[in-house]
Amino acid sequence: MIKTYFKTAWRYLLNNKTTTLISIAGLAVGICCFLLLTTYLLNELRYDRFYPNADRIVRVGNNYKTINDNQETNSAVTPTAVVPVFKRQIAGIEDGVRIYNYSGYKPVTVQYKDDLFNEKKVLLADDSFFKIFGFKFLAGNAASALSTPGSLVLTASTAKKYFGNDNPVGKILKVNQTNNMMVTGVIEDVPAYSQIKFDMLGSYSMLDRSKVLKWDSGNDYSYFLLKPGAAATSVQQKMNLYLTDVLKSQQKPGRHAWFTLEKLTDVHLHSSLSNGLEPSGNIKYIYILSFVAVILLVLACINFLNLVTARAAERAHEIGVRKVMGAQRKQLFIQFITEAGLITLASLLIGLALAYLAFPAFSNFAGSQLGLSTWRFTWLAPLLSGLFITVTLLTGAYPALYLSAFKPVTNMKGHGSSKNGNLRKGLVVLQFVVSVFFIICTLIVGHQLRYIQSMDTGINRSQVLVMDIGGMPFNKIETFKNAISTQPGIKSTTASYDSPVQIKGGYTITQAEGKSPDYSLSITGIPVERGFVNTLGIKLLQGSDYTPADEKQVMTDTFANRKYSFIINETAARALGWKPEQAIGKRIGVNGRIGKVKAVTRDFNFASLHKSITPVVLFAEYDWFSKLLIKTSAGNLQNTLTGIKQTWKSFYPNTPFEAHFLDQEFDEMYQNEQRTGGILNIFTAVTVFISCLGLFGLAIFTTKQRFKEVSIRKVLGASVSNIVALVSSDFLKLVFTAIIIASPLAWYAMNRWLQDFAYRITLSWWIFVLSAVLTVLLAFITVSYQTLRAALINPVKGLRSE
Amino acid sequence: MLSLKNISKHYNVGGNKTFVLNKIDLDVDAGEFISIMGPSGSGKSTLLNIIGLLDEPSEGYHYFLGEAIHNLKEKQRSALYKSNIGFVFQAYHLIDELTVYENIETPLIYQDVKSSERKALVADILDRFQIVGKKDLFPAQLSGGQQQLVGIARALITKPKLLLADEPTGNLNSKQGEDIMELFRKLNKEDGVTIIQVTHSEKNAEFGSRIINLLDGKIDSSRNI
Ligand SMILES: Nc1ncnc2c1ncn2[C@@H]1O[C@H](COP(=O)(O)OP(=O)(O)OP(=O)(O)O)[C@@H](O)[C@H]1O
Ligand SMILES: [Mg+2]
Repeated sequence: MIKTYFKTAWRYLLNNKTTTLISIAGLAVGICCFLLLTTYLLNELRYDRFYPNADRIVRVGNNYKTINDNQETNSAVTPTAVVPVFKRQIAGIEDGVRIYNYSGYKPVTVQYKDDLFNEKKVLLADDSFFKIFGFKFLAGNAASALSTPGSLVLTASTAKKYFGNDNPVGKILKVNQTNNMMVTGVIEDVPAYSQIKFDMLGSYSMLDRSKVLKWDSGNDYSYFLLKPGAAATSVQQKMNLYLTDVLKSQQKPGRHAWFTLEKLTDVHLHSSLSNGLEPSGNIKYIYILSFVAVILLVLACINFLNLVTARAAERAHEIGVRKVMGAQRKQLFIQFITEAGLITLASLLIGLALAYLAFPAFSNFAGSQLGLSTWRFTWLAPLLSGLFITVTLLTGAYPALYLSAFKPVTNMKGHGSSKNGNLRKGLVVLQFVVSVFFIICTLIVGHQLRYIQSMDTGINRSQVLVMDIGGMPFNKIETFKNAISTQPGIKSTTASYDSPVQIKGGYTITQAEGKSPDYSLSITGIPVERGFVNTLGIKLLQGSDYTPADEKQVMTDTFANRKYSFIINETAARALGWKPEQAIGKRIGVNGRIGKVKAVTRDFNFASLHKSITPVVLFAEYDWFSKLLIKTSAGNLQNTLTGIKQTWKSFYPNTPFEAHFLDQEFDEMYQNEQRTGGILNIFTAVTVFISCLGLFGLAIFTTKQRFKEVSIRKVLGASVSNIVALVSSDFLKLVFTAIIIASPLAWYAMNRWLQDFAYRITLSWWIFVLSAVLTVLLAFITVSYQTLRAALINPVKGLRSE
Repeated sequence: MLSLKNISKHYNVGGNKTFVLNKIDLDVDAGEFISIMGPSGSGKSTLLNIIGLLDEPSEGYHYFLGEAIHNLKEKQRSALYKSNIGFVFQAYHLIDELTVYENIETPLIYQDVKSSERKALVADILDRFQIVGKKDLFPAQLSGGQQQLVGIARALITKPKLLLADEPTGNLNSKQGEDIMELFRKLNKEDGVTIIQVTHSEKNAEFGSRIINLLDGKIDSSRNI
């Protein structure tokens, strides 16, 4: 019996190659995309969940706002005192760890014998790290691995890189040319789906600040392991009580500060804190992509469904005969389900193969290594069988019910029912609604991303080379600057604390001329060298850049004696209540630095364009620079680069050369959007492909059904173009309906998306018109082959066939 | 074996009831070979379909093998049909996707007959109809007469007690038609199959034991031969 079902189904599918191929092609592509997307989603959702204590670990958020601030600052960077003090004070906390991103400002150089590497993922942590996070040790001892200053734990692949098959434990590595650190342990590689990623982890105690408990400064990430049963909310409450009661004296009036706790597993997708260890994902995109995955699958199923029901007329005869021969409805149902099952199975296998081939490219897009191996087998097997059953039922159940219910007598006369014509049309409209929606979204997202890239942010990013020089003494920087300034192709050079497109420093203006003594305004601040404004093309509205005299002042004197001079932006001046021209010469104090405002700049974007411009203060302070900014002239960039590199090598043979262009860094800030944009592009193409496939299939049958009508019309004198218009208009009507439904939906969705950007395009009508034209064109091309065939039919043949 | 009482069938056409069958009474005994005749549109096919349980009357009582059909559920009706009735059509109605062998085998499959038994039964009937050589061909590769032979073989494979044939020779030439009629007669005489056929040919009608004439949905005359 079963064998007969298979044989019949198999033969039927073979005899109807076009339908079968269209169904399989659509479904296979749909299934492939579904697999890619679900794998991506799985990877996002399993983030940080592998930590044995994941449900008890929380991350501390550092939040503050002064009465003069427009916005709260919510940062993941916390003061050094947080962990040691709260661990002692609050009963619900079992343990805590401070983590410092040692390679955050520039790669760490690590030397073993003659091998010299730039390490980009080096963290320092308190010795409780392994107790809290519980990585598996391959060598060494978890409890004592970080207990002495200068100890260093490597991941397995890092250990292999340095020591091959030798035992790494006890070996000495020279870090940043000065520190000798001893390897005390080797752990398994850190999974890509961990928010804490590192190749090397050193002891936090090597930092000077590890010994002092400061509440007003710090560069660390703080994690707590809560006691089993302890509620994060009550711990958070106690922390804030401590802040308001015990630390009252340290709080400036008008400045409100509070701590928040986030569950470890919420950090990746749900956090709104800035400056985290890695940029966080967005749960919104997870929802969107899940939706896309399901939609794609449904679209592909619709194709199959439509083709089967479109063929119902043809199959009516067969069904009638089978019923006369004694087939029961159940048996016919099984037969049609078997056909659907075979198609699904073939599509599933092809889809799997396609996904296997597409994974490497998709991984690039997604930014993490994905593959079928991302799945544990115990999950993949149910996924695939679930997919098989769902798709088979989705595609098979309706036609099987519908077809098996045919009455034998009416059907054998050859009149197929066309009752479900409306359903079929509805489904095609649905497919095109989704296609049009995606087309509009793709165009708008692309438009917005291009807008950001080409927007005038007030900084001239082009041809600015950024070198990582993390903390090099200024006299050394100056020698190097002087050496390259004579080279051709270099216009100007300057140094700064941060990258100018991502200025992070949170400072506070604590006094200002004419303001009350407890005045306070949160600002972003950055120490810069003379020439910063000029090198980056930042316009000055009032005042002038620093002079060599200003420079000398801050370089020679002690911190207490320095007379600072500040360059503030327009927004800062406004926040202080000054017009640009009034601001010049006013005295302000920034975290203990007292001095006068020297210039006011036109506003420039120094952070993500998701945020609008906030007050920023530049000040000449030459203690610590991490970036050297080199403005090069256009033309023969390669030579200029080689020149800089050679000079660097001759000065610092032991520090690898690290540089990138500012443009590039800027673009990378929108990686999340670029990535979503990229994924959107692919899936728009897939949606359109599947929908057109469905339309094509439908066109085959509709035109076949209309052969007789077309023949008669031709006999009556209709021209080819009359016929093409007649037949295509039916399809185009469906597409127009889809456009009318999809456009407002897309408008709404994209409007929401754009709200996330402080700087955004306005939604203009031409995007919608363009999408509509594009869709109609695609649909027309899709059906044109079939309509032309119908139009060119020999009328005599068409009439005889009836 | 079969009894129709007061059977009517009507359609609503443009609000008017048009009667296709009008109060038909008919009794058929086992072993009869009946030919139904009558002008086109007189309701012959409709009657045959009702007898064959493919269609339902609008009114009336229908008994078959002692069962009151009008009281049966779909499932029971289907079971009764499967094991007792075979149908042959003017247009053959073979399934294009299946070979001769498979076409004949299909009713057995629907009756859940075991594979080995099916093989024996189909081999037997192929042999009897002398179409063994054609068993792997598809319907499109056969002549009309051969197709009808397969159609009859398929109708007979389940050893039905009642064979219904709607113009079985309508698409065949007279020689082929005569062969089919000979076959029917033999089935009726030797195997005791009850046969009801619809035909337009006086000559073919003579093969039967009784001829019924339909006119405007009523039995106009009935004569035994
Ligand atoms: N679905 C229907 N709706 C309305 N009238 C119908 C329907 N089906 C059949 N009829 C009518 O029933 C009448 C009898 O049809 P039937 O097929 O039984 O005729 P017939 O005697 O077999 O004719 P023929 O010799 O041409 O095959 C015809 O007049 C036909 O128009
Ligand atoms: Mg008829």
